[in-house]
Formats: sequence, C-alpha cells, structure tokens
Amino acid sequence: MTQPHLTLVREEPAHAAIEVAGLSHVYGGRNTQIPALEDISLSVGAGRFVVIVGPSGCGKTSLLMMMAGLRHQSSGTITIQGAPIAAPDPDRVGVVFQEASLFPWLTALDNIAFPLTLRGTPGAERRARADAMLNLVGLSGFGARYPHELSGGMKQRVSIARGLVQDPPALLMDEPFAALDEQTRMTMGHELLRIWSQTAKTVVFVTHSLTEAVYLADEVLVMSARPGRIIDRIAISLPRPRTYEMMGTETFGRLRDRIWQQIRKSD
Amino acid sequence: MRRPAPSTVRWLILAALLVLWEFIPQTGIVPELFLPPLSKTVAVLIKDWREYASELAVTLYEVAFAMLIACGCGILTGALVGGITLLRDLLLPVFSSLYAVPIVILYPIFTAWFGIGSQSKIIFAGVYGFFPVMLSTAAGIRTIDPQLLLAARSMGASLPQRITRVIIPASIPTVLTGLRLGGALTIIGVVVSEMLTSAAGIGYLVTRYRTILDSPHVFGAIVMILLLSILFDTLARAIERRTRVWQTAGRRQTDSAAIAVKPAEAVV
Repeated sequence: MTQPHLTLVREEPAHAAIEVAGLSHVYGGRNTQIPALEDISLSVGAGRFVVIVGPSGCGKTSLLMMMAGLRHQSSGTITIQGAPIAAPDPDRVGVVFQEASLFPWLTALDNIAFPLTLRGTPGAERRARADAMLNLVGLSGFGARYPHELSGGMKQRVSIARGLVQDPPALLMDEPFAALDEQTRMTMGHELLRIWSQTAKTVVFVTHSLTEAVYLADEVLVMSARPGRIIDRIAISLPRPRTYEMMGTETFGRLRDRIWQQIRKSD
Repeated sequence: MRRPAPSTVRWLILAALLVLWEFIPQTGIVPELFLPPLSKTVAVLIKDWREYASELAVTLYEVAFAMLIACGCGILTGALVGGITLLRDLLLPVFSSLYAVPIVILYPIFTAWFGIGSQSKIIFAGVYGFFPVMLSTAAGIRTIDPQLLLAARSMGASLPQRITRVIIPASIPTVLTGLRLGGALTIIGVVVSEMLTSAAGIGYLVTRYRTILDSPHVFGAIVMILLLSILFDTLARAIERRTRVWQTAGRRQTDSAAIAVKPAEAVV
C-alpha cells in the first residue's frame, strides 16, 4: 500500500479518530428556526491533519466547538476515539482558540499546566510536563513570563502547549493564527507541522486562509455558506515535510484555486 | 530648562498652600475665625492630642465595622447580581439608580431606628459604601472575557473550578477598585453622620467646636480627617497596584516587554 519511496503522504488508517455522522444544527427560538449546519458527515483518521475552510458564518467554528463538546448539535452524532463526546474531555480532545485565551494572571508555565492543576496532578509532575510542552513549542526559558510579556505568536505557542499538555490524541484548532501578521502566521504554520510530526496528533484545523489550508492539510473539507454543508473534500497530495517553496508550485496553485472555486460557487 | 516632573510640581503646590495657610491669616486679610494659621492648628492638635486620639479611636472603630458591612455585603450581592442573569436584570437598574440618591437624607431615619450612638453610624456608612463595592463587583464579573471561560470549560473545568480559578482572579482588580471607592465613601459616611447627630467621633468634634467658634480646634479635626482619608487611599492604591500588575502592565509595559523579548527574536 504505502510506497517505499519518500513521499510521506499518510494513508488513512482503518479506524477513524474523529467520526461525525449526519450532524445538523438549527438555531433559534419559538418562531425563528435558522438552519446552521446540515447533514455533516466526516471521518478523520488517526494522525491525520484535516483543514476545514468555508465562507464566514458557515458554521465551521460551531462544528469544531461541537467536536470539542462545548456546544450541542440538534441531531447527529460525534464520536471521538470510539466514544461519543457529550461534554469537554481534555483526555481525548485539546482545543486551541483564535485568541490565545491565556489567563493573564498566570505565567506561561502555569497557563500550560492549568488543565493539570484542574485535575489535581501533583506539583512536580505538573511542572515537568508543562516544561516538556514549553520545550516542544520552542519557548524554553519563557516559562516565567506573563502573557502580556509575550508576542502574539508566542502566546499561540503557549496555547498550543496547553492544548497538548494532557496528551490528548486529537487537537482541534479554531483559526489559531488568524490574529497574527502574515510572516508570523507562516512561521507558526510551519512550527505547527513540526509539532504535529513530533506528536502524531489528529488535527482538525479551521481557517479562512486558503494558502494555510493547502500548506498544512492532508485533506481539506470545503463548507458552503449557511446552512453549512460539506461540498468538497480535497486530498492534498503534496509530499511531507512541506516547504515554503511548495507554495510557488503549480500543484499548490491548482489546489488552492479549486478550493476557491468551490467557496465562490457556494456563496 | 527641563520641565520638572509632575510629582515635584504636586509637592511644590502642596508646600505653597501650606505656606499660604500659615501667612495669609497672619497678615489679617482673612480673619482667624475663618482660617486660623497652620501653626495654631498644629499647636492645638498637640496640646489636646488626648481628646483627638480618643475621638479618632471612635471614628476608626465605626469606619472599620462599616467597611466590613460595605465590603462583605457589597461583594456578595455584587457577585450574585453580576453572575446571575435574572438577578442582574431585576436588581442592577434599581441599585444603579439608588447609588445616585443622596442617601444622607435617610440618616435621620437611621438615628430613629438605631439611636445616636455608633450603631447608626456604622449602618449608615455601611450602606453608603455598599453601592460602589456592589456595582464594581457586578461589573467585574460581567466583563470577564467569555473566551477565558470557554477555554477553561474546554480543559474540563467544573463550575466551582471556573468560579475559583477564573472568575475570582479575573475580577479581583475591578473589585479592589470598588473597595477603594467604597472605603472612601464609608469614611465620608461616618464623619458626616457624626457631624449631624452624635456625641463622639472626629466629626462630632468639628460640629462641637464650630458651635463655640473655636476655629483652631475645628481645623485640627479637619486635618485629622484629611490625613485619615489620604492614608486609606494610599494604602488601597498600593494594594490595588500590587494585584493588578498584569492588567495595567498589558498596556504600559509593551515597550519594556518588547525589549525584554529581544534576545529571543528567533521565537515568533
């Protein structure tokens, strides 16, 4: 199955880490019913990097929050690691938000250790694990800094470390780099791929940026405008590790163009 | 010439005022009944320090209890009103309007209910100081970044954990500001009620000496009240500054943070 040569495109394994089946969501009160998500089904294999793109307001963030157990869908099921997710479960799912959402009164290290503090992990183990995460995201030596002493990119690194500290198999990311400037964003994308390849997490990543989508993903899911449906699934066949040079290639341009056409058609 | 620092200017103005206070009455432009010179006021304070000290003790005792009421009830009510939507919709408009009412008009009623002793002062000043504490606690809880609560939830925080580990630390700076304002109002409340109807306290001294036209003693009492308020405010601000480092620092320290971050420019 897998080619013996160096294309590192990961094959989809038999068991899916995240499985969404027939999910629909309707907003509204007594009189108004706004369909937000319509019959979403998707399956993400363990260790895969899947990116969801779509026009603003298509419900991609809602979908991600539902996968995190932070919001409830009207109908349909979400299964993560073989069990339905009814409430947030940091053992199975880590979440990284658009704004870094760090607690400003805690140091970077304490922010990373926060999920462990919540469950009463002993101090020494907590520090060791938070320290390991700090190293993983390339912030060794910054543990004692407070969030206001960190740059936007560094804050998102802390946020990623916090999402990973309980070692969940899946990481959900809601436009984590949207608030960063273009250069930082490129660096962070590259860094994320490095972290991903070191940790072998299953990642679902929501973004507005088509370039980011193609650069990061194994597979891109394109959603339509409200009510959100999945209108295209595009396998990104670019080899790994990804390099900045690939962005200039014809394949990259073609893939990005295809996503753009799909989004435009749906609007 | 370099412009002097604002704090230097402030001290100079204060010194100038004190000098004027000393010399204007001595020239006779202003009669001593209206403004006794600084030296005379201080002399009275030193001569009768026993009397001032024992009345100050009464005032401090009343202020302490009133602050306890204002802070305790204020934080509790503020937390409930800020945290529970139903209570907020019902009560917040009521409390906000009550805050604007000059509660001092109710003081005669307080004396009818609780007598003219310390009890009526404590309760009146407690009510007076309650409003800013309650309103800023409610505001502090309402203005917590919902994203922080969402993040805590995603990490598996239970409701009690969200309260103790997110809501309380996040609202501490705003609550402290309320405590400072409420504390100042409590001092005002105690002194004013002592001036209106009482037989003890610094405020009582002001009224008593004014009726016998003993200006130096009146000013002596005023100076004590001023010192008390300034002391409280300085103390409260110091505590506030210590706890809200992360809040103000977010804006003020961006430059120093940028400098501090420099050695690691490689890390984005």
